[in-house]
Amino acid sequence: MAVAELHGGGIAEHVHPEPHGFIRKYIFSIDHKIIGLQYMITAFIFLVMGGMLAELIRVQLMSPHGTLVSNDTFDELYSVHGSTMVWLVIIPMLTGAFGNFVFPVQIGARDVAFPWLNMASFWMFPPAGLMLYGSFLMGAPTAGWTEYPPMSLQGAPGTSMWCAAIFLIGVSSTLTGINFLVTLLRMRAPGMTLTRMPLFCWAQLATAPLLMIATTALGAALAALFIERQFGVPFYDPTRGGSPLLWQHMFWFYSHPAVYIMILPAFGMISEIIPTFARKPIFGYRMIAFSSVAIALLGFMVWAHHMFTSGLSPALQLAFMLLTMTIAIPTGIKIFSWVATLWGGKIHFTTAMLFATGFIVTFTIGGLTGVYLAAVPFDLHAHGTYFIVAHLHYVLVGGSLMGIFAGMYFWFPKMTGRFMNETLGKWHFWLFMIGFNGTFIPMHWIGLLGQPRRVATYDPQFWSSNFAASLFSFIMTFAILLFFVNALWSIRRGKPAGHNPWGARTLEWQIPSPMPYYNFKKVPMVFASPYHFSDPLPYRGLEGELDPSVPAPVPAGHH
Amino acid sequence: MAVAVAHDPSSGSGQAHGVDRLYAETRELRINGFLLFMVSDLVLFSSFIFAYLYLRQTGQGWPPPGISRLDVAFAAFNSVVLFGSGATMHFALENWKHGNFNKYAGWMLATIVLGAGFLSGQGYEYWTLYTKFHASWSGAGIFGASFFTLTGMHGFHVFMGICYLTILFLQTVGGVYTKQKYAGLTMGTLYWHFVDIIWVFLFSMFYLWQ
Amino acid sequence: MNQLQFEHIITIIGAIVVFLAASVALKNDWKTPGLENQVFKLMLFLLAVGSVLAFLAAMGVIGSWKGSA
Repeated sequence: MAVAELHGGGIAEHVHPEPHGFIRKYIFSIDHKIIGLQYMITAFIFLVMGGMLAELIRVQLMSPHGTLVSNDTFDELYSVHGSTMVWLVIIPMLTGAFGNFVFPVQIGARDVAFPWLNMASFWMFPPAGLMLYGSFLMGAPTAGWTEYPPMSLQGAPGTSMWCAAIFLIGVSSTLTGINFLVTLLRMRAPGMTLTRMPLFCWAQLATAPLLMIATTALGAALAALFIERQFGVPFYDPTRGGSPLLWQHMFWFYSHPAVYIMILPAFGMISEIIPTFARKPIFGYRMIAFSSVAIALLGFMVWAHHMFTSGLSPALQLAFMLLTMTIAIPTGIKIFSWVATLWGGKIHFTTAMLFATGFIVTFTIGGLTGVYLAAVPFDLHAHGTYFIVAHLHYVLVGGSLMGIFAGMYFWFPKMTGRFMNETLGKWHFWLFMIGFNGTFIPMHWIGLLGQPRRVATYDPQFWSSNFAASLFSFIMTFAILLFFVNALWSIRRGKPAGHNPWGARTLEWQIPSPMPYYNFKKVPMVFASPYHFSDPLPYRGLEGELDPSVPAPVPAGHH
Repeated sequence: MAVAVAHDPSSGSGQAHGVDRLYAETRELRINGFLLFMVSDLVLFSSFIFAYLYLRQTGQGWPPPGISRLDVAFAAFNSVVLFGSGATMHFALENWKHGNFNKYAGWMLATIVLGAGFLSGQGYEYWTLYTKFHASWSGAGIFGASFFTLTGMHGFHVFMGICYLTILFLQTVGGVYTKQKYAGLTMGTLYWHFVDIIWVFLFSMFYLWQ
Repeated sequence: MNQLQFEHIITIIGAIVVFLAASVALKNDWKTPGLENQVFKLMLFLLAVGSVLAFLAAMGVIGSWKGSA
């Protein structure tokens, strides 16, 4: 970066003109913060829809021969539930919403590298969601969120709609990844070297290439499935020379990196929240940062551990098993670094911190079952059972969603200038913890005992555990409802928070809340890592940010 | 970014040229973004190439029964047409950098014509395959799935490239770019070279290895 | 001169021309700085490789002539 010429009128100094009118401000906005909030609201709407599907599933499973829905409808429910949660909730929430809202400010930029492209990425997202739900009108996909052929080849017409919807959201993800990567590498404020970036930015830096590369591979797989379904070109149909295993390879080459897309930004958020509320520098900054990159790289080399029962050669199975287990090392480094950050800290258990510490516990449980499942002999036994369901929900709900809630309580004051209600927040946390664990712990043992996933009925011996899981899932749903009530109430009536209620040290907390459209009146100069809580803030040039008498920067330059 | 500033002759005099520095840095951002777009496009091709190799080794031999060997002679001829367009595109950009508009225009038009020639050649090859062997996209088993999908996707990229270069040519005629500021032309050239080198791989894998 | 011979001759001449053009361009641009110029050089190199492949195919060294459509 051209540090020497701080105020030479380069891209760092470039300011968009102030947006006027509701449409330019809130609908077709090019401001990364507004786009982030758009992503967030849309993803929460889809969280509600996906959650309702989940509750329908749980109600159906309250008795061994549930009669709420037919078998085919049940297939549609879990397929669309999984697709919604993965592609329309967690990925957009962690990259589009929190990524857009937080990291450009954290690196001291005024916007992302390509603001118009950012807007285009967002506007592919709601149509993709509508297409996915529109598939219910013509028969939704029934082969699960993984849509393995040959079942997906025989699925209802909605399966093609599913392909198109996921392809569209994939294009959106790819463009977001390109945008974020260029922004992180090229738009940092003077003095913001890579190793002075907050860890959330490192998490996004590790995620962006995954979004860019892996999602394109999924796009190819989806395009081939669509072509085969609509035009009869045989890629996957074994009776015509194709190979169903080809889909599994192509799909998991995307979808295993995708699980890191769904967890790395959450790791980044936890790495911001824990030092802030432990009032201690993060332990092992470089190890946390580099382990994100290591996870991202390893993530590309482990996809076939989803295919141990699909007839891989034993040598390949062994290789993928060992590589998969290697991922536990960088993940363990993170967990221990967080625990070491807590050690001896002056911990404030705000709701955000409760969710962050809860994240460590539940994610570790999910991570441990992940190491079990990496072992071929165990996976052969547990594959396709509720044990998998328990594992993936522990990492996606106990990991990603807990991270999202932690981030919401943490950054809500930055979004709105007001706190969320802490009492309601603590109710939310405890009810969510009880409901979540109560729902998914029993699935471990009914899975080990052999209840298969994705089936609308089950052997009566599993009734008590399923019934308990359903009851606890209602508690979890109620907890999430509390969160929505809290958020909607706090937008207008929450306690005013000021610009930096948590005493956090990253750049976004040094400017007013909500953040002005230009982010910084003057681009700051950075001269140290943000985590040294006993030192003065490592920024220069922020004096006028909170002073209303200092004028807003004047838009300059072309476009 | 320092590289870009040094590379752009108009911003050499330092801080006084605020707008030029904005241009240089914006150009750097756009080119980086475009290169990343090309990386993801490369992944798209690689995924289909992976599918082709996978189907080829699990399938019934290659070329599959009922399909003749592909015509290497004609493909080599057609490849040279496309590779030639890569060379002319290079000359076009070089001449633009040196301010020779007329030579630039000639090479650019030659690129567009050669690109169109390649597409016609591919159309001729498809037509031959269809009329002689009844090979179609959906009716030729994994041959259709791999050969027609990949070459068709590449052909679509060539078609998009022709449209792209035509727009760029009209823009240069309309005076959108200057001798110093031609980021759009650079990206067009990158795209066209990208389409060329994808064909190097497709040519080797479909025609030279059968 | 039939179509095959015509194709042959054009291919061989064209491949040599493209190879020379790409090589000279590569030599001239060898020291240019900047990310996109590195990519340009890689692409020019692959272009030269491609023309060599086309040349060898036209000479009948690689690929096969038998049974062509």
